Amino acid sequence: MRRAPIVVAATAAGLAGVLGFHTQQPSLLSGLSGGGTTPTTSGGGTTPTTAPSGSGASTSTTAPGSTSTSTPASTTPTTSTTTTTPTGTRTAVGADVQYRYGELELKVTATGGKITSVQPVIDTAYDARSFQVNSYAEPQLLSQTLQAQSANINGVSGATYTSQAYVQSLQAALDKLGIK
Amino acid sequence: MAPPVAPALAPDGPRDRTGHRHGADPGSAPVFGHVHHVMGTVVSFDVRVGDGDPRAAMVALSRACARLDRADAVFSTWKPNSPMSRIRRGELALREAPPALGRVLELCALARELSAGWFDPWQMPGGVDPTGLVKGWAADEALSVLREAGVRAAMVGAGGDLATFGSPEPGAAWRIGVRDPWAGDRVACVLESPGAVATSGCYERGDHVIDPRTGRPGTRFASATVTGPELWLADALATGLLVAGEEGLAFIDALDGYEAFVISGTGATARTARLPVVA
Repeated sequence: MRRAPIVVAATAAGLAGVLGFHTQQPSLLSGLSGGGTTPTTSGGGTTPTTAPSGSGASTSTTAPGSTSTSTPASTTPTTSTTTTTPTGTRTAVGADVQYRYGELELKVTATGGKITSVQPVIDTAYDARSFQVNSYAEPQLLSQTLQAQSANINGVSGATYTSQAYVQSLQAALDKLGIK
Repeated sequence: MAPPVAPALAPDGPRDRTGHRHGADPGSAPVFGHVHHVMGTVVSFDVRVGDGDPRAAMVALSRACARLDRADAVFSTWKPNSPMSRIRRGELALREAPPALGRVLELCALARELSAGWFDPWQMPGGVDPTGLVKGWAADEALSVLREAGVRAAMVGAGGDLATFGSPEPGAAWRIGVRDPWAGDRVACVLESPGAVATSGCYERGDHVIDPRTGRPGTRFASATVTGPELWLADALATGLLVAGEEGLAFIDALDGYEAFVISGTGATARTARLPVVA
């Protein structure tokens, strides 16, 4: 029996990576970064999103389970928590965004027009909870995967493929090429 | 039981002008590659004969394939007349079943204990179902056949779960890529195999992994990989980890020799501290 720290990666810096990955959808955060716009339930100007696949609407409020009420977020300084003023702490949940890893919905908290936290709100097939970052964290996202050709590997580990899917698999390519 | 079919074998390596094949370097020991369709998937072999007898290695490869066929015949829950299917229906008593069946169920009980109940063949719909462990166990068995025949090193890849022994090249470890769940031609990392690398996920065959606590599909990661000395346990632990989520990392971390690497639905990764990652 041994106890060793579990090395966990992601969350804050990782999400910055996610956002950076989708620069074509800048409007995801526009409702908050502007300071004066639309904290929550009455989207000032933007459409409340009932359509989950809407790309990058900034202030969805009807998403089930979303914490889009303008409560002060516990992780933010709460010097001024009177909700709807532009200087208060506000939280908004964006529309579902399709991106490389599936569907993602982000909850963004801002204080005084400045974003203080970005967290995923999960509603996809996979549980996409962010991992808790501990002191051993080395934030990384999977966007830095390797081209298999350059990885110099003998085999591939992955979810069990069917006989049919094997034909398309990297393992089949390795088998066919012959092994180094 | 179908008689074992001798696999078509070809020493691996570049062909010379006369069409003959050599090892990777002229004069080096032969390397055999082979694929075998069984258990609804494909098992890939990479056999490094070393200074052993190539003919003995070929015979062993044939026997290893027969061992896989036998495991499929005994344990398949898709074949209605397999001993496992008959046990599930209550038509066969364990003491009347092939001895391997009792051994595998003992391993299942051990894996259930070591995974804090997250791998539990007795909580599957339709009765006891050791499928999450059998493929890894069968690959371990196939690998032992090769090892006992005196080959220098070998890798058995059972549909994405791999068992290895020896060194593919002097001083080198078997390098195993963990597939990017969203891109079949990319790998998320490269691990040095400590004997076994198993990965569970739903990107190949849908949301089929059952959470034993609810009896329903309950996948928590896009991909869960476990490394360790033996594949039967790594395979079962990877299945348990996929439904356990983050707390599963703790039970793997507590097991000597076993490590884990997971990829969340958002592409965030986490691993235990001693994962043998090399790239």
